[in-house]
Amino acid sequence: MAEVIIRKLTKTFGDNTVVKSVSLKVEDGEFLVLLGPSGCGKSTILRLIAGLEDVTSGEILINGEIVNFVNPVDRNAAFVFQNYALYPHMTVRKNIAFPLETAKLPKEEVLKTVNEAGRILELDQLMDRLPSQLSGGQRQRVALARAIVRKPVVFLMDEPLSNLDAQLRQQTRIELMELHQRLGITTIYVTHDQIEAMTMGKRIVILKDGELQQIDTPTRTYEKPANTFVARFMGAPPMNLIKGEISLASGQLEFKGDGFTSSLDYLKMGLTPDLISRHNNETVSLGVRPEHIEISSDVSAGELSGVVKFLEPTGADLFVNIAIGEETAVVRCQPKAKVQIGTKVSLKFASENVQLFGADSWNINSNL
Amino acid sequence: MSSKHPIGIDLEDLARQDALTRRAKSALSYFVLGLFVLISVGPILYVISPAFRESKSLFSYPPQWLPNSFYLGNFKFLLTETNYIRWGINTLIFATSVTLISLVIDTLAGYAFARMNFPGKKLLFGCILATLMVPTAALLAPTYLLVRNLDRWTFGLIGLDTFGGLIIPMTVSPLGVFMMRQFIETLPKGLYEAARIDGASEWRIFTKIVLPLMKPAVVVLGIFVFMQQWANFLWPLVITTKDETRVLTVGIATLQGQFVTNWGVIAAATLMTIAPIIMVFLFFQRWFVQASVAGALKQ
Repeated sequence: MAEVIIRKLTKTFGDNTVVKSVSLKVEDGEFLVLLGPSGCGKSTILRLIAGLEDVTSGEILINGEIVNFVNPVDRNAAFVFQNYALYPHMTVRKNIAFPLETAKLPKEEVLKTVNEAGRILELDQLMDRLPSQLSGGQRQRVALARAIVRKPVVFLMDEPLSNLDAQLRQQTRIELMELHQRLGITTIYVTHDQIEAMTMGKRIVILKDGELQQIDTPTRTYEKPANTFVARFMGAPPMNLIKGEISLASGQLEFKGDGFTSSLDYLKMGLTPDLISRHNNETVSLGVRPEHIEISSDVSAGELSGVVKFLEPTGADLFVNIAIGEETAVVRCQPKAKVQIGTKVSLKFASENVQLFGADSWNINSNL
Repeated sequence: MSSKHPIGIDLEDLARQDALTRRAKSALSYFVLGLFVLISVGPILYVISPAFRESKSLFSYPPQWLPNSFYLGNFKFLLTETNYIRWGINTLIFATSVTLISLVIDTLAGYAFARMNFPGKKLLFGCILATLMVPTAALLAPTYLLVRNLDRWTFGLIGLDTFGGLIIPMTVSPLGVFMMRQFIETLPKGLYEAARIDGASEWRIFTKIVLPLMKPAVVVLGIFVFMQQWANFLWPLVITTKDETRVLTVGIATLQGQFVTNWGVIAAATLMTIAPIIMVFLFFQRWFVQASVAGALKQ
C-alpha cells in the first residue's frame, strides 16, 4: 500500500500540453477517481504514474520516492486497461501467470499465486480458456487477477468498465469496490462516467483540458461545485445556471436577473458581505440543482418565473424544461406532477441550495 | 394472380427481372474468373503433356494434346543421366536457408521499426524502402563483385560457387521488413504496455507476445520467400559456375542444348520442380487467408 503524490505534473505532446501543472495527493489505501470529459488528460496522468509516458516536467512520488525515471515494473503499480489488454494466444492461467514468470518466481509459487487469484476473482472454471472464449465481464476479472498477482502497492485503472453493458457495469462496479475493501490497495481510477465516480470514489478529481478543477468528496463536488464547469458536469440533468447581478440590501443578498429579483439568505449560503461586495456590478451565475427547485402556477410580479417549454418523463421523474428569458432551467418533479406545456410557473428554492459563480466562472464562496 | 404494390408496380415481374440480372452477373463473373484461371494455370497444364511423351512425338502433325500412353522415360533420364537430384538438394538448402535467415532478420527488424524508438529510425526505414526502387539487375554486378571479394576474408565461406555466396545476399528483403513492420503495427499497443508493466524485457515481449501473434504473417512471408528463392534464376546463374553448386532453375536451363534440346526432359524437369511449390502452398493456404484478414478485423 502506498501514498502517491504528483507535483506540478505537466505533459506535452509536440505543441499540445495535455496535462497542465497538476498536483494532487492520494492517501494510502484511498480510492481516488479521476473524472472528466474525453481529452481532459485523466488517462495521460494515469499513464504518467504508471511509467508508460515520460514526464515533461513535475514529479511523481510513490511512497515518498520520486519515480519519474523508474521503470514501470519497478514502480510496483498494476495497470488495468480499458480493453483489458489480455494476451490473446495465452490461456487465462498463462495470462495471470505471465508477470510472475517474467519475475522468474519458482513454479510452485506461481501456481499457488495464480490459483489464489483465480479463486478470489471466481475464475476457477475458466483457467484453461482463451480470452476470446470469455465474456466482457470475465475478461475484466482476468485483467484484475493479472494485476493483483503482482501484489502492487498501487492500482491504476483506466476506464475498466467502459466496454461493459449497463447491467454488467453496475455489477462489476460493486465487485471492484468489494475487492478494494478486501485488499485495501491504493487505487487511482479513471472514468468519464459520473455515476461511477460518485459511487466508487472516496474523493473525485475533476479535470478539464488538462487542468485540475476540483478535488473533493463526491457529495461536495455535487453540492458545492468549484466552478460552472463542475456544476454542469456533475449531475444529470446538470445544475441550472441563471445569469444576473448581486448586491446586499436589507441584510439579504439580492439577485437581480432578467425581469426578476430573488432575495437570498447569504448566511445560509456560507457567504459574507465582504465576499458579496467583491462581485458587485459583475454578471454572476446563480446555480441551483433541478431537484432543489419547486415550481408553482401561482406567479407574482417580479419573482423568478418562466414558461414551460418541454416535458421529459423518465418513469421515476418528470423533468420540466422552463424558458426563463433566453435561458432554460430544468426542474425535477414527481412523475405524476400536473404540469402543462405553455403555462407560466414560478421557481422557488432555498438559499442553502444555491451556489453563486463569479464572472470568472469560479464559485465566489472562497471557503469551499 | 400477380401481387401488386399499392402504386401499381408488378412485384412478380420485378422479382423475375432481378433474378435474370443476378444470373447474368453471375455468368459474367464465372467467365472472367475462368479466363483468369486459364491464363494462370494454362502454362502449367501445358507442361504436363510433353513431360509424359517422347520428344519425337512432340512435333508430330496433327498436334497431339494428350499422350496415348504415359511415357516415363523423360523422368528416368532426368534422374539418372543428369545432376537433377543434386540440383534439387542444392535448391532445398538454398531456399530453406534464405527463408529461415530472412524470417529472423525481417521479424526482428520489423519489430524494431514498429515498436522501438531510436535515433534515425524514420530515416533508416526510408532508406530501406528506397532500395525497393532499385531494380535487381542493377544490383547484380556490384553484389557479384562483393561476394567474389569476400572469398578471402571469409576463408572461402562466402564466395563464388559457395552456399554462403548463394544464400547471404538473398537474405536481405526490404519488402519482408516492411511487411513485418506493417503487421506488427496492427497489434494493439495495449499488449506491449501490459507486458512492459508486467516487467517483460523487449526480448521477452518480442518472443512471448509478438512472435506468437505473428504466426500467420510469418508463415505467409516464409512461403513467399521460399517460393521466390525456389524459382530464383538470375542470382544463382551469376554466382554458380559448377554443376555441383547449381540449383534447379539454372540446372534445367543447362538441359537446353546448343543444337538439340530434349523438350520432353525439360518439361519433366519443370513439372518435378514446380510440384513441391504447389504442395507447399496447398498445405499452408489457410495461413494466407488468416494473414490477409488479420489486419482487417478488430481484435
